[in-house]
Amino acid sequence: MIPIISKKYKHILGLNRRNQEYVRQYNSSSAKAIADNKIVTKRVLKKELIQTPEVYKLIRSKKQLQFLDWDSLPKSFVIKPNKGTGGNGIIVFYGKKKGQEAWIRPNGNTMSKRDIILHIENILEGRFSMGSKKDIAIIEERIRTDPILKQYSYKGVPDIRIICFNQVPVMGMLRLPTKKSNGTANLHSGAICTGIDMESGITTYSMHMPGSSFRTDSYKLIETTLDLQDNKPLRGIQIPYWNEMLEIALKCQEVTKLGYIGVDIAIDAEKGPVVFEVNARPGLGIQVANQAGLRWRLEKVQDLKIKSIKHGIRVSKNLFGGEIEESIEAISGRKVLNITEKISVFNKGTDISKVKIRKSVKREIVKAFMDTGILTSRISSTLANRIGYLSATKEFNKFNMPEKFENFKEAQEYIDKYEKEICKNEDIKRLAKIVEDGEIKVRPVFDIVIKISDAVRIAEFVSTDSQEIPQPVVIGRADLSGYLIDTSGTF
Amino acid sequence: MFETSKLTEWILSNGVSETVLELLIAVCILATVVSIARYIFDSKTYGIYAPILLAIAYSYTGLKYGLAITLVVILTSLLSFSVLNKIRMHYITRIATNYTVLAMVLILFFILIERFGLGLENMANIPPLAFISIAALSDFFIKQYLKKSLQGSLITLFGTIFVAVIGWFVITREIISEYMLNNLWILPLLTILNILLGRFTGLRLKDYLRFRITAKDDSNN
Repeated sequence: MIPIISKKYKHILGLNRRNQEYVRQYNSSSAKAIADNKIVTKRVLKKELIQTPEVYKLIRSKKQLQFLDWDSLPKSFVIKPNKGTGGNGIIVFYGKKKGQEAWIRPNGNTMSKRDIILHIENILEGRFSMGSKKDIAIIEERIRTDPILKQYSYKGVPDIRIICFNQVPVMGMLRLPTKKSNGTANLHSGAICTGIDMESGITTYSMHMPGSSFRTDSYKLIETTLDLQDNKPLRGIQIPYWNEMLEIALKCQEVTKLGYIGVDIAIDAEKGPVVFEVNARPGLGIQVANQAGLRWRLEKVQDLKIKSIKHGIRVSKNLFGGEIEESIEAISGRKVLNITEKISVFNKGTDISKVKIRKSVKREIVKAFMDTGILTSRISSTLANRIGYLSATKEFNKFNMPEKFENFKEAQEYIDKYEKEICKNEDIKRLAKIVEDGEIKVRPVFDIVIKISDAVRIAEFVSTDSQEIPQPVVIGRADLSGYLIDTSGTF
Repeated sequence: MFETSKLTEWILSNGVSETVLELLIAVCILATVVSIARYIFDSKTYGIYAPILLAIAYSYTGLKYGLAITLVVILTSLLSFSVLNKIRMHYITRIATNYTVLAMVLILFFILIERFGLGLENMANIPPLAFISIAALSDFFIKQYLKKSLQGSLITLFGTIFVAVIGWFVITREIISEYMLNNLWILPLLTILNILLGRFTGLRLKDYLRFRITAKDDSNN
């Protein structure tokens, strides 16, 4: 039982490992102190020209609160504790009620000046701070959500969390406020959490914590938004400024010196990406949203030497991209292949059943080009000879086949006349008429065992001497049924 | 039952009373129980102090009486707080008011027990310090309630009581306490166990439940 469990969960990062092997080892006390203090974080990020919400007022004491010039505040603003955790103590105001000393909250309720003062006093007394220590109240700019993400969230500001380790962005998620979360992007309050494909910045799986459950951290996968008037599918949303955000996240890691960091970024309609906060102990729910374990990803990048931010992003995209393809596979039931894929070509006479069982079967791993413009797959005669079809090629060449044919009819007539004789060689399955380097030719066809993306099969290959084939193997339509071809890497 | 060890005899003859020694051993056991509960099972508690205090208080009150007092403390705190929440007042004064209400309700509770029994007739024999220790739970409960949510605080409360009850069960078994008292070499062993727990990097039991929809044989990695 235990080995089965541990095998299934080996990619998952748990709290114990996160704290022991990542937070403790890679986040120094001084770096954590920066992340735990929003004012210091803003100051540090500002030096590197990273945008954070503009601070209107800092209230450090009751005396300062007493002399606060309320009229100098803009209509909408946010009040938050400097050392608050988990979004506690944050209040958003959308506007001021006309003719009254009261401000409107996202749910439409108003809060009087006296209540706001009391809330700020509670912040100062440390009600929301770590360890209940005395705190500072921050009055800052309210982010105006980017219209693309606004349509998926209920009132509040959606944000994107990117976890970076060793200067590589390893995982990302989009958090969408819901009615249940009261407009906050806090997962435990009921916000939706959506995984992001690191390569494309497109959303993949989504989940949320179901309602009245007393079982904490119990997640449920969902497909659409939950409580909007017109619920929308959550899969396939292109996150705006994705590459810029990856860059910002890595810059945050660089300046805060947090080896293991979670960067929360919101997208302002006018300013673009704005860093909300950096987290020295980012939560682990991101793994559920991405349906992937963090442990494996962190171990993968642990010993890499990353030369620059651009390099880090490239590594991330190469290593952790592709979830969106798996998503497509999940929906369509079809596997996604790149336009050029590495495939295994097995030696002549390979028993297909042995390939499925044993790994040590003689093969060549070659690049194959996926070409839906041809029906039968092609193999370069050089490769075919190498994997054991040399005698068959020699046998075929003995027949002094015309170099080219005027038309397909002429080629077919030739095939009809000589195929039986040529196919006496058991390696030649049949003859095929093809266009090779702009000329109609007749070539031998071999049955070859290949492995494309974990699927082993016997495929017909026309052996060709063409100089124009892009790779030693070209897979044609006959062998591409059940696959979708991703052409994004064509040029 | 067990032969008194020479080390125990020596400690007892050097100014340490048996009660104090038993209590200190109980603290070691309870601290280890809390560690196991946290790092193996991921049981949330109000820190390490609250479950230890509660378990020791239960060992003085007995589980039945202890749980009855806990119930009164929590219900009172919940009620008083839901009322106090509607009044605009400062944080510390709110907690102070809650304590005052709690004290009054406990007085009323004792009178009711005296008058009607309610199956808790021996309440008068319980040491007052045990009451106070259980009443302190109100502070932990309310702080968490204010900072996070009622649901979050209740979950932590149940976790704390659960761990305290397990702790109570362990320290009140005569065979265990007597064995521990006469085999003090176990205390360094508990230290080693705690160090090992502190270095444990495996998944907690709750992680398995939490990530069950993520863990697949053929994962997205």
